[in-house]
Amino acid sequence: MSVNVDISYKSLNKHEEELCGDKVELLKTADSDIIILADGMGSGVKANILATLTSKILGTMLINGASLEDCVETIILTLPVCKIRQVAYSTFSILQIYHSGEAYLVEFDNPGCIFIREGKLIQIPFEERVIHDKKIREYRCNVNIGDYFLLMSDGVVHAGVGKLLNFGWSWEHVAEYAVNATKTCTTADRLVTALSDACDELYMQSPGDDATVAVAKVTVKKVVALLTGPPVNPEDDQRMIEEFMEQEGKKVVCGGTTANIISRELQRGITTSLEYLDPNVPPIAHIAGIDLVTEGVLTLTKTLHLLQKYANNEVDEDFFIQLDQKNGAAMVAKIIIEECSDLYLYVGRAINVAHQNPELPFDLSIRMNLVHQIETVVKKMGKQITIKYY
Amino acid sequence: MDITICIGSSCHLKGSREIVSELQRLLKEHNLQDQVELNGSFCMGQCVKGVCTKIDGKLFSLSPEDTQTFFENEVLRRLNG
Repeated sequence: MSVNVDISYKSLNKHEEELCGDKVELLKTADSDIIILADGMGSGVKANILATLTSKILGTMLINGASLEDCVETIILTLPVCKIRQVAYSTFSILQIYHSGEAYLVEFDNPGCIFIREGKLIQIPFEERVIHDKKIREYRCNVNIGDYFLLMSDGVVHAGVGKLLNFGWSWEHVAEYAVNATKTCTTADRLVTALSDACDELYMQSPGDDATVAVAKVTVKKVVALLTGPPVNPEDDQRMIEEFMEQEGKKVVCGGTTANIISRELQRGITTSLEYLDPNVPPIAHIAGIDLVTEGVLTLTKTLHLLQKYANNEVDEDFFIQLDQKNGAAMVAKIIIEECSDLYLYVGRAINVAHQNPELPFDLSIRMNLVHQIETVVKKMGKQITIKYY
Repeated sequence: MDITICIGSSCHLKGSREIVSELQRLLKEHNLQDQVELNGSFCMGQCVKGVCTKIDGKLFSLSPEDTQTFFENEVLRRLNG
């Protein structure tokens, strides 16, 4: 089985703190994805330094093949010692999911990982080890497509303590909430957002502790091919369309002229809708065998904005409302964000003479610039991207 | 009668959406929705001139301000002609 991992996380800072004392580190190795969540003792700058050091040391050492014993020892010997409490301390969780489907989880003093399979909470058997007087739990299991792993800092299980709730949210209730949320939240982002927002509400928007949620969802590898722009040389039309059509996965065409070319080459009709679901985004069209056909530059500009918001973690409920809109730009963004692990871009570099018009209120001659920005943002999301120019 | 309006990038910026809604309004006002079908199309290759609009294959270049005149002179004339 070849699996892909959809990862997302979100932190709430303790009330009036500029820095978060929790730190999430994401790493990719050739055959696995790693998530590290560290929670530094205290809050503010000190906690932030402890958590950052811990997650970076763990990540760097693990990726270079160090044993868990060595990692823990290094952390203990490296972390600055707190003057007041006379200890150096940061809790952590490490989750590694291999593309082969095996998973390895290590926990030190963080709330236990919530593992959800087929809408149910599942316990994974663990072994406890003592390394340098620290009790560490190790879990090993095989994953299924659709499994969720939810890591969190203790600020989440304590949400609302002493105010809305006597004893805080509690692990059991977080788990119950998460299980219910997976019925409607189908991606890691949506689940993280639902949990983080709920946590924030329990704290009445003023968290008593840093609270971080990280979710890994096991998914299948999902390929999307996106075609945009006519080739510089019209003789390449046929070759570009053939190569695009041979690519497995979902097919998206962004560009009016490009759509006309593909319709001509494949001898399939094109029907264009006149429904303006967003006044600023031209309507979409339909060609048999293509999953989505949109206008080019204006649509992709809006798509890019959504992708950037997403990659910069500016994600809230309102973002998903925009993403779920049925205009071309949101539809392209949704496919790239939620239905894609590997993106193949087929880019024609012809310059449209009509777009070189200084009277237009918008510079349309920016396709190449857009492509470069999409490349940057898609990489930032941790997806594979391959670009072919014509 | 078929009227096709370009909704490509360039024409979009020159106001295809306004033209589409204006034509929809005028057709409704004259009770002609059954006789005239509005369609969209991507680039028709004459972007420089204005919003490309075709009546039964004949090409016109419109701007939102011309729409009413276009409707009276071209659409109504043809239907009544």
